[in-house]
Parts: sequence; C-alpha cells; structure tokens
Amino acid sequence: MSQEHHQNDLEPDPYTKRVLEDGLSRRSFLSRAAGGAAALGLSGLGSLPAEAATAPEAKGLAFGLSGDGGATLSFLPKPRPIRDREISETLTFDVVVVGAGASGVPAALSAAENGAKVAVIQKAPFALSQGNTGSGVDLATSEKAGVEALVARLIADSNHRCDPKLIRQWAYNSGEAVRWVIDRARKGGATVVDQGSPVQRAILKVNGYPMGYVTSFFGPKPYTTGDGMRSLAQTAEKAGVRFFYNMPAVQLVQARSGEVLGVIARGADGKYRKFLAKKGVILATGDYQNNKAMSDYFVPDVKHLGRKQLDKTGDGFALAYWAGGVFEPIGHTKMLHDFDAGPPSMCDMPFLAVDRKGRRFVNETVEMSLLNNYLRDAENAGHYSQIFDSNYMTQAAAWPGKLISPEGLKNYMPDDPSPKKGVFESQVNTHVAGTLEELARKIEADPATLVATVKRYNEVVASGKDSDFGKPADRLIPVMQPPFYGIHRRVRVSAICSGMLVDERHQILNAEGKPIKGLFAIGNLGGGFYGGVDYPLTVFGLSLGRCYTFGYLTGRHVARL
Amino acid sequence: MNNLTVSRSLGVGLAGLLAAASLAAAPAKAARTSKHAGQGITCVQCHGKSARKEAVPMRQCVGCHGDTVALAARTAQIKPTNPHQNRHYGTQADCNLCHHEHAVSENLCLPCHTRFTFQVP
Ligand SMILES: Cc1cc2nc3c(=O)[nH]c(=O)nc-3n(C[C@H](O)[C@H](O)[C@H](O)COP(=O)(O)OP(=O)(O)OC[C@H]3O[C@@H](n4cnc5c(N)ncnc54)[C@H](O)[C@@H]3O)c2cc1C
Ligand code: HEC
Ligand code: HEC
Ligand code: HEC
Ligand code: HEC
Repeated sequence: MSQEHHQNDLEPDPYTKRVLEDGLSRRSFLSRAAGGAAALGLSGLGSLPAEAATAPEAKGLAFGLSGDGGATLSFLPKPRPIRDREISETLTFDVVVVGAGASGVPAALSAAENGAKVAVIQKAPFALSQGNTGSGVDLATSEKAGVEALVARLIADSNHRCDPKLIRQWAYNSGEAVRWVIDRARKGGATVVDQGSPVQRAILKVNGYPMGYVTSFFGPKPYTTGDGMRSLAQTAEKAGVRFFYNMPAVQLVQARSGEVLGVIARGADGKYRKFLAKKGVILATGDYQNNKAMSDYFVPDVKHLGRKQLDKTGDGFALAYWAGGVFEPIGHTKMLHDFDAGPPSMCDMPFLAVDRKGRRFVNETVEMSLLNNYLRDAENAGHYSQIFDSNYMTQAAAWPGKLISPEGLKNYMPDDPSPKKGVFESQVNTHVAGTLEELARKIEADPATLVATVKRYNEVVASGKDSDFGKPADRLIPVMQPPFYGIHRRVRVSAICSGMLVDERHQILNAEGKPIKGLFAIGNLGGGFYGGVDYPLTVFGLSLGRCYTFGYLTGRHVARL
Repeated sequence: MNNLTVSRSLGVGLAGLLAAASLAAAPAKAARTSKHAGQGITCVQCHGKSARKEAVPMRQCVGCHGDTVALAARTAQIKPTNPHQNRHYGTQADCNLCHHEHAVSENLCLPCHTRFTFQVP
C-alpha cells in the first residue's frame, strides 16, 4: 500500500490488521482512492479500469462519490443529519439496544440486570428472530484441552480467517450465557429445554478430549427462537427494560469527536424520536440479506438464491459505516440451508441428488450446507432433490444420519392429508410416486431428464464404481423399486454471518483500529466470528449460541461503564 | 402532510434510495389497477397535497380501512393462510408490500411459501 497507517502503540493482531487493510470504511476508501490504481487493485474492490481508479472524482464509479464529498459505496451515501427541530421527542437512557432479536434481547436484559436503564428500539411490531438451537460449552464437563481443540477446529472451519479471541470468548463464556438465556426465557413463559451434549454427537470428544455442551432448544417447530425472544422480552420488561416497537433506527447521534451519543428512530406515525444513551448504543440489527446492493457487493455468490428472512436491510451496517466503522472484506460468510423440506436427519445422507432440471450434479457426500455452491445460478436457484426408492430403509441403513420410515416421511409430504407435527407445514416438500415420471412432476423436474439420470445412475451403481463423480462404492444404491421418493429441497440464505470490525468488548473499531466511543455491535452485525465460504455446522446452534453469549457479555459490559 | 417514505427501514438512507429507484415509471393518473378511482377517492386522500407523489405511509390506508386486527379478522378464513395475520408481522404487515394502487398487486409470501397462492386485490 502506498499509504502508511501509523498505529500509535500496539500492532494489531493479524485478523484486525487484515480487516483494516482490506475491509471497507469511508475513511479507508478515501485513502485508497488517493493511493491510486495500485491501491485499488490490491484491495480487490472490483473491476474498475485503471483510468477510472486514478480519477476517483469521476461520476459513476462502482462505489461512487457521496454528496458530502467523502468517497463511499455508491449505495451507502451518508444521509443529511436529521435536525433537532425534526425530532418529536427525546428520551434518555443508559443503554440503547437497536434490534430485538437473538442478540439484542439478551443484551438488553443483561444490561438491566447490571443496573442500567435500558431501551430497545425494534423495527418489527414485536421481538423477532429465527431458528431453534443455540449452543455453548459446558466448562464443568469439558477438558480444557478439549475447549482449546474445539477453538482450533472452529478457527479451521473459518479457514483461519476469524478472530481467535472472539472464538475463545464464546468457548469460555457460552455455557454460562446459554444457561442464563434458558432460565430467563423460561421465566417469561418460553418453551425451551437444555438438550445438553447428546445432540452434539460429533464433538463429544475433540482430538480425543472429552467435551460437554449446553444446547438450548426453543421448539419444536413451528415454535422458534422468535417466540423465545418474545418471552425473554417479557422478562426484560419486568426487569425495567422499555421496548419501542415499529421503531426502526435511522441515524446515530454522533459528536464531533466521533463519540456516539444516541440513536434517532422513526415511529409508525412518521415522527422521529431521539434516544440518548449515556453509556452506549448496542447495535443488534441482524444481517443484510434483504439489501440487494449490499449483498451483491459483499457476497455476490448468493445473487440468485432465495432468502429466508424479511426486512434485514443491513440498517445497522449502514449506521456503523456512517459512524466510521469497517466492513469485513468482500467474500462474506453465508449460511444456506434447507432442514425443512424433509427430515433434517436425512439431509446429509448421500442419496442420488439431482438439480432443478433432474440432472446429477455432485458427489452426494457433499453436505447440504455446502450445496449452494453448486446451485447458485439463476436456473437452479438453490433447488435440488434427493431421490431414493422403497428399499432405502435397508439399503442405506449403514450410512451416517438417521433414516425416517415411509410412515414418518408422510409428516413431510404436502400431498399427504396427515396432520403435520414438529415441522413448518408450509415448507415441507417430500413426495412419493409410483413412477419416476410422476415423481419428476411432483418435484418439479423434467421427467425425461430424471428418467435418463436414474438410468445412468443405476448403471454406475451396477458397475460398483462411480465413474461420473467418484462417490465411494458403499454410498451407491440403486433407484429401482417403486414407489420412488423425492425430497425437493431449496437452499436459501438463512443468514449472512460476516460483519463490522469489533474488538473483544464488541466495540466497533474505526479505520485506524481505534474503538468508536459509545458504539457496539453484536449478533450477525459483529464481525470476526467466521471467515470461511460457508457457515460451519461443527457445533449445532453456534450462530444463536454466539448471539446469546455476546449479547449477555456486551449488555453487562456497557452497563458497567 | 409530511413527505416521509413508508419504507420500513432507513427512509433517508439506502432503502429510501432503493425504493425510489423502483418507482421510476410514474403513473400519470389512476390505472386499471386502481381499487379506489371508482370509489370516488381522489389522489389527495392518499398522497396529501404534496406536489411530489411518492409512497403512501401505511397509516394512511389504515386511516380509512380501520384497525389491522379487525381487517385480519375479516380474512381469517382465507386458505391456505390469513394474509393479514402472520408470524413475520402479526397483523401489521405494510399494506404496500402486497396491494398496489398503480401497478398489479403482488403476493409477498409466494416466493418463500410456494403454496400460499392467494390472489391479492
Ligand atoms: C429459518 C432459519 C433457521 C435458523 N436456525 C438456526 C438454528 O437452529 N441455530 C442457529 O444457531 N442459527 C439458526 N439460524 C440463524 C440465526 O437465526 C441467526 O444467525 C440469528 O438470529 C442472528 O441473530 P441477530 O441478533 O444477529 O439478528 P436477529 O435475530 O435477526 O435480530 C435482528 C433484529 O433487529 C431488528 N432490526 C433490523 N433493523 C432494525 C432497525 N433499523 N432498527 C431497529 N431494529 C432493527 C429486526 O427486526 C430483528 O428483530 C437460522 C436462521 C433462519 C432464517
Ligand atoms: C389508495 C391510495 C392511492 C391513491 C388514491 C392514489 N395513489 Fe398514487 N400512489 C399510491 C401508493 C401506495 C404509491 C407508491 C407506489 C405503489 O406502491 O404503488 C403511489 C405512487 C404514486 C406516484 C409515484 C410514482 C410511481 O411510479 O408510483 C405517483 C406519480 C402517483 N402515485 C400519482 C397518483 C395520482 C395522480 C393519483 C390520482 C389519480 C393517485 N396517485 C392516487 C397510492 C395512491
Ligand atoms: C380515503 C379512504 C381510503 C384510503 C386512504 C385508502 N382506501 Fe382502500 N378503499 C377505500 C374504499 C372506500 C374502498 C372500496 C370499498 C371497499 O372495498 O372497502 C377501498 C378499496 C380497497 C381495496 C379493495 C378491497 C376489495 O374488496 O377488493 C384494497 C385492497 C384497498 N382499498 C387497499 C388500500 C391501501 C393499500 C391503501 C393505502 C395505500 C388504501 N386502500 C387507502 C378507501 C380508502
Ligand atoms: C401479504 C399480502 C397482503 C398484505 C400485506 C395486506 N393485504 Fe390486504 N389482502 C391480501 C389478500 C390476498 C386479500 C384477498 C383476500 C381474499 O381472498 O378475500 C386482501 C384483501 C384486502 C381487502 C379486502 C378484504 C376485506 O374483507 O375487506 C382489504 C380492504 C385489504 N386487503 C386491505 C389491506 C390493508 C389496509 C392492508 C395493510 C394494513 C393490507 N390489506 C395488507 C393481501 C395482503
Ligand atoms: C423471505 C422469505 C419469506 C417471506 C417473504 C415470507 N415468509 Fe413466512 N416463513 C419463512 C420462513 C423461512 C419460515 C420458517 C422459519 C421461520 O419462522 O423463520 C416462515 C414461516 C411462516 C409461517 C409459520 C410456519 C409454517 O409453515 O407453518 C407462516 C404462517 C408464514 N411464514 C406466513 C407467511 C406469510 C403470510 C407471508 C406473506 C405475508 C410470509 N410468510 C412471507 C419465510 C418467508
């Protein structure tokens, strides 16, 4: 880089250093533009021709120029500050939490329990979140070497790009935090259990060291963590937290020094309200999957893939960026799943898999959570189907996973009249048919293509060698005996898991690596916890577990400031 | 009458801009899609006197159509699910997400729930 950023005292750790160098902030963009084409090329920001890059003042750049003269992402111009005379009401608290989800509600309650006067401002008409399982490490039943081994595993899962100190912070505090969430949510009336270690089958030992877990489960479906957070909000209200619903945050109140003093939100009546925060503002607005420009920019991989959430327009990202925060570099970590179309326990079983048209497309030992990488074109848009015949209970019996009987599969069949239990009724998508052609129609594939695919697959199976995709021989079973089954899955964006640069107090750092006074970020808005191509499924419920844990810790920290 | 957008997020920020982009082609007058032109309802009753005709805040719709809970009760029997009462918004989904005055209405739910095939007037 042509520009030297002079760190005052400490050299930042490698994670922070990389994000400061390659991440995106209003400030870093300016210095890069000044550095010219070379700097732009290095930072890998896009496909600008060199001439354009040396003339950053030119209009129409991929990341444009904002009206205030600062160079920014074209979709993130800093808005005109809302003036005091436009404010209808000003309220003062110690801590203001923005967003009532899996990280925000715990943060608010935690702050209140530590003596703070707390407000939560929430965009939706009530607390809102999603998912069922959230996990932590039970230190009492875990070997310290195991905890460290798990930390190392998670760092490797993130392709060594995450911030190790945040992973350790989760590992050493999550048991306490998740237990606390279970207890407090139950007090608010939630249906929640600790499923403990048994559900974490694959990591009961890590590198040979025994481990124990606290696994909160808000469920069964259609009950979710969303319901759970609404109960937790009841507990929080009893503890004195004030909730303001239908009240999206639109701007931060920031002093000249950069210190964040509060938040401005807009109510359903169209009026602006100012929420001053004496100790700090905690942003917990979730990810940005419904903001097309932001998604296309930071995770272009999911351009053609559907979404699972609504209204996650990355508001907190914009607020943090305008305040001087730094986005993690392009290539954000994504989470795309479909646990709902058929039994979750069968989603990774290596049955024949066909794309939307009916073609085989992968060695089926690739997990469901990674298949989005093969199906991200506009035509497939995340659709695929697992195909098997009526002998599956015997022929696939030795495979890892858990087979569900034909009777049990009816619970996942929209065409079967049986009442559904423990599922999202609108999302189940398993089918059975007497012929492959009929099955193809039910899974919305092309009948001729599916028939040809199955014919070829059966030849491969008969030969005992997968000469098309190299799947192990013991994972090859024929599709011959009717009735035929098809689980039509559609992986969609559950979450985007990369965020803004924070330190271990979850305080947002500016482009110089200095904490912005009064501004914190938790949940998927906080960076540093992931870094790989896809969210890892090593620990079931890591995402929610991390949200609860960092909410719990950050609420307490800010309350005690 | 204020001129704030109904956009459910950063009105003056990015979402406002994105929404503005999608409103590029302005209808000059009431189109065939209008549910109101034939009812003697004028432009002003939705848009106010503002010279700029832009997105209409939901409270404007609710002002005439009444409480959202009552509206949801009227459509409670609709199959496969009540469009006016759902887990994502309760009864408070922004009307404009589905109903359009100057364009063909859309079914917000359909892309994610492929069997929620109701027709939006
Ligand atoms: C279908 C589904 C299933 C999942 N299952 C699991 C699971 O089993 N286990 C797991 O670990 N993870 C799961 N996940 C992922 C997990 O739900 C998320 O990672 C987690 O909820 C993120 O928490 P958060 O606090 O960052 O955001 P959220 O919980 O999404 O909360 C963000 C909140 O901020 C509010 N908000 C947004 N903008 C504003 C604004 N401008 N002003 C005020 N408020 C605002 C939103 O309304 C929302 O309530 C699942 C995700 C989906 C979609
Ligand atoms: C029932 C309420 C309603 C009435 C009546 C109404 N509009 Fe609109 N109008 C809207 C809404 C809502 C929008 C925002 C776009 C949308 O969702 O259709 C809008 C948008 C517009 C726009 C912005 C640009 C665009 O492309 O949509 C113009 C211009 C407009 N209306 C003109 C008119 C005129 C002229 C009349 C009277 C003939 C009128 N409107 C009557 C609700 C109304
Ligand atoms: C000035 C009062 C008024 C306003 C404002 C208004 N409406 Fe209406 N609307 C009516 C009347 C009157 C009718 C016709 C009678 C009926 O169906 O209720 C109607 C009809 C409708 C219908 C058709 C109902 C059917 O049976 O098919 C829909 C949908 C609708 N309005 C939605 C909206 C939305 C969305 C808005 C806000 C953008 C809005 N209205 C604003 C008065 C209003
Ligand atoms: C999820 C999409 C969706 C949203 C959001 C939505 N509607 Fe509807 N609305 C529908 C559908 C679908 C129907 C048709 C129901 C039927 O089949 O009778 C309908 C019907 C109506 C009707 C006529 C039915 C009656 O009995 O009065 C009115 C009026 C109406 N909507 C107003 C509104 C208003 C006002 C809002 C905002 C408060 C709103 N809608 C929000 C989808 C929606
Ligand atoms: C962006 C995708 C998306 C949109 C749009 C969407 N939903 Fe959902 N909905 C989901 C997902 C994913 C679930 C299951 C997980 C959850 O609760 O988050 C769900 C769950 C539900 C459930 C309960 C689960 C079930 O299947 O029994 C209902 C009811 C529902 N949605 C109704 C609606 C209605 C009505 C609309 C339109 C106003 C709508 N949804 C729009 C994604 C969406």
